[in-house]
Amino acid sequence: MSTTLRTLGLGTVFVVGLTGAATAAECIAPANPGGGWDFTCRQIGKIMYDIGVVDNPVQVTNMAGGGGGLAYGHVVNERPDDEDLFVAASQATATRLAQNAYGGLTADQVRFVGAIGADPGVIVVAADSEFQSLNDLVDAVKADPKAVAFGGGSAVGGFDHLKVLQVLRAGGFDDIRSVKYIGLDGGADAITQTVGGFTQAMTGDMSEIVGFLKSGEVRAVAVLTEERVPGFEDIPTAREQGIDVVAVNWRGLYVPKNISDEAFQTWADKLQKVADSDDWKEAMVANGLAPFTKVGNDFQQWVDGVVASTEELSREIGVIQ
Amino acid sequence: MELFSNLAVGFSVALTPATLMLAVFGCFLGTMIGSLPGLGPSNGVAILIPLTFSLGLDATSALVLMTAVYYGAMYGGRISSILLNIPGDEPALMTTLDGYPMAKQGRAGDALVISGVASFVGAFLATIGLMLLAPILARVAFLFGPAEYFALYILAFSTLGGVASNNQAKAVLASCIGLGIAMIGLDNSSGLPRFTYGNLHLMDGVDFLVAIVGLFAVAEVFFFIESHGKKSSIGVKLEKVTVPVRDIVASTWTMLRSTGVGFVAGVLPGAGASLGSFLAYMSEKSIAGPNGGFGTGSPKGVAAPEAGNNAAAGGALVPMLTLGVPGSGTTAVLLALLLTLNITPGPTLFTERPEVVWGLIASLLIANFVLLAMNVPMVKIFVRVLQVPPGILLPGVTMISFVGIFSLSGSYFDLLLMVAFGVLGYVLRKMDVPTVPIILGILLGNAMEDALRRAMVLSDGDPLFLLSSPIAVGLWVAAIAGFVAPMFLRQFIRKPQAVTD
Amino acid sequence: MRSDRVLGLVVILVALAYIASATQIQVSFLSDPVGPKTFPILIGAAAALAGGVMVFRPDEEPDWPALATLGALGISVAVMVVYAYSLKPFGFLIPTTITAGILSYQISQRPLFSVITGIGLSIGLFFIFRFALGLGLVPFPKAFYG
Repeated sequence: MSTTLRTLGLGTVFVVGLTGAATAAECIAPANPGGGWDFTCRQIGKIMYDIGVVDNPVQVTNMAGGGGGLAYGHVVNERPDDEDLFVAASQATATRLAQNAYGGLTADQVRFVGAIGADPGVIVVAADSEFQSLNDLVDAVKADPKAVAFGGGSAVGGFDHLKVLQVLRAGGFDDIRSVKYIGLDGGADAITQTVGGFTQAMTGDMSEIVGFLKSGEVRAVAVLTEERVPGFEDIPTAREQGIDVVAVNWRGLYVPKNISDEAFQTWADKLQKVADSDDWKEAMVANGLAPFTKVGNDFQQWVDGVVASTEELSREIGVIQ
Repeated sequence: MELFSNLAVGFSVALTPATLMLAVFGCFLGTMIGSLPGLGPSNGVAILIPLTFSLGLDATSALVLMTAVYYGAMYGGRISSILLNIPGDEPALMTTLDGYPMAKQGRAGDALVISGVASFVGAFLATIGLMLLAPILARVAFLFGPAEYFALYILAFSTLGGVASNNQAKAVLASCIGLGIAMIGLDNSSGLPRFTYGNLHLMDGVDFLVAIVGLFAVAEVFFFIESHGKKSSIGVKLEKVTVPVRDIVASTWTMLRSTGVGFVAGVLPGAGASLGSFLAYMSEKSIAGPNGGFGTGSPKGVAAPEAGNNAAAGGALVPMLTLGVPGSGTTAVLLALLLTLNITPGPTLFTERPEVVWGLIASLLIANFVLLAMNVPMVKIFVRVLQVPPGILLPGVTMISFVGIFSLSGSYFDLLLMVAFGVLGYVLRKMDVPTVPIILGILLGNAMEDALRRAMVLSDGDPLFLLSSPIAVGLWVAAIAGFVAPMFLRQFIRKPQAVTD
Repeated sequence: MRSDRVLGLVVILVALAYIASATQIQVSFLSDPVGPKTFPILIGAAAALAGGVMVFRPDEEPDWPALATLGALGISVAVMVVYAYSLKPFGFLIPTTITAGILSYQISQRPLFSVITGIGLSIGLFFIFRFALGLGLVPFPKAFYG
């Protein structure tokens, strides 16, 4: 009955929802619907409304362009003091800022307000692969770099590529320019190519491989976290295999630069409440995210560190001059 | 009979009076959105995702509403293709080729009904195919590596020559324009910009919607200004809207074959709905031969791409549901929808969340039947559009185009680009250069180049790798045959004609 | 005849410029065997070839509009460009009324009809987009709100 009533009331609800949008908070997802940024906006926005830290449903705007650069430029140039605005961000945002991919815009032109989850980096092989451990894979590359092709969901120089290079370098292979890597259209595509035998290993995020792990089509040889990930205790970390690399794709938000400190703190507190909510914990489990909560000034400092180290690595491998 | 019990589960979830109302509402809204140039299934579903939250719909109702909007928009895309020669979205592109000539002959109603039935057949059979074969078909994606995809794109472009032009050079030129435009933006393989000249707006490349709306809608406005509305479909005396039974029966095999072609194209993640409708149209055109009337308003030319693109949309659900790989732009939106409902598609979806999968399949079937039932009444409304004076209709289309494109990125840059495409489209069409290959070039250019470059990375630059599997070789053979055959056929067909003359 | 030849020449020139531009593409140090330049150069070459065919084997001359019509087309392009720039600063309603009105006049050649069409379209479409489709259009320039 209640569903019918809601259906009948459709027109009104729709209009009210939209006119109310003027005072509602807005979350910009700097990509088309369907990606990680879109998920961040929609989930965090939904939970904020459900747990009552915002009064109106958060309006999600998709602003795809320039790998997030268009939205970044929009916030920096056109809405530098909008206190009702937050934007989805992730490790990719930091990587691109570090590699100067946003047309000269820099990381200090916004404020990073917090991250409330992270997608651990993983390296997987097909179920029937000869490689049993991360070291087998590293040794094979050392023996003949041409014999092992890696597939990943990001372009050359992107985070998935950097992960492989970091791992190989930490494993004692220095000629990283000879590593074969192909950038595919997303993690699922990269797995498909690996299962099909076109690439020998896939590098990506935990969330991208969960379904394929369960169905037994791939095996994870390493997860790039400090500790084993809850729920996936049978996957060894790279660190315990003697390769000291930690790389996670955090999911978080940034806000415009010139908002007041109070407003910044309010967003940080709201984000903390989302992180503590059961809804978010469920969403994290469903999407293969590991807990990773840093909010407020802590997070800002941490992002600054990540940007600096990514910049250094990118320069070292020649992705930027 | 596991299938029927599964389906029964699906329908028990999805079929209630309330959800049926949602389906009708969604189909209608989707058709409206789909028929507006620049707004397609992606926008439709994206706009409505927040609505499902604010209405507090449960997962199943949301799924029913969204699939209805999705199918409605797929279905609506053809309406402006047929009535105004302006494709509402990219899969409806091929429908302009025969649909608009039919409208000019006063058969707009017939064209709309035929395409509606063809859409139904394509979508319905594809949904059945999805139910029966999804787990098996998912394996097909594992057989397609970079070399195989490259061969598939070669096949598509090798048949382009015969699309809509008498002059092969002009079709090649049009494809090159499209491919050349596709190169603009960040290079997928290296992440570095190409042809952007430091312009941030060009970093992501040129959106094909901007190109479609410019080349078709804006260019159409220029033609109207030139002719003051003469020589168009507007104001043509319309026959009464009836069901053109004879044409539908005559197109039965066309629809079935096109469904097959479209479905296979949809199952391959790199191909998608536009390629499905394109290949379906081209194969039917070659079956019909030069006397088949394709391009001049053949009912089969309307049925083929519509069955093809709707079957491809259904086929694209296979890799989306079983692998999490969206096979086309529109399935990417459905994937987004599932993710917002906290459902992550992947290999375990069918076993772990059967109620979701079968609920979705049941919703698709419901949306399909609702659309078929609404077809004739809706056609009666839509053909009225042609009675609107061009002095109102065309400015209206222009304004809708501007707002549609503006809603993509909110920047004036895309609008300027759209106007530029309009001018280009006007000049090219005046000179008999087909504009369809431009769009296909933009749609497929990057994927084609990426496939080639990935193949060469894997093989260390050995070109023979492109022929390394039976699938790749087969596709190359078909491509070469598709390119060469028309030249021989033309000579072969001319001779008997000369005799009968 | 002449138009095809001119277009053919233009195509060749543009294609050569495109190829020249392609050779300037930045190459990353971690490049693949094909690199970012090859494919664009191939496209440019194919386009130049097609242009060459058009120069040597042109089709019949299309039927170009009269000078006055070309002028009208020029005006409508200019109006659309101005409209593109004015949507953001001036809001939706006023630029839409003017643009739709001018386009309508060019098609129908009836002044009063065009004025009514312009006003009707801008208000009607505003309501459709804003309330039925939920796009965030701004009706008036920001200054109107004070």
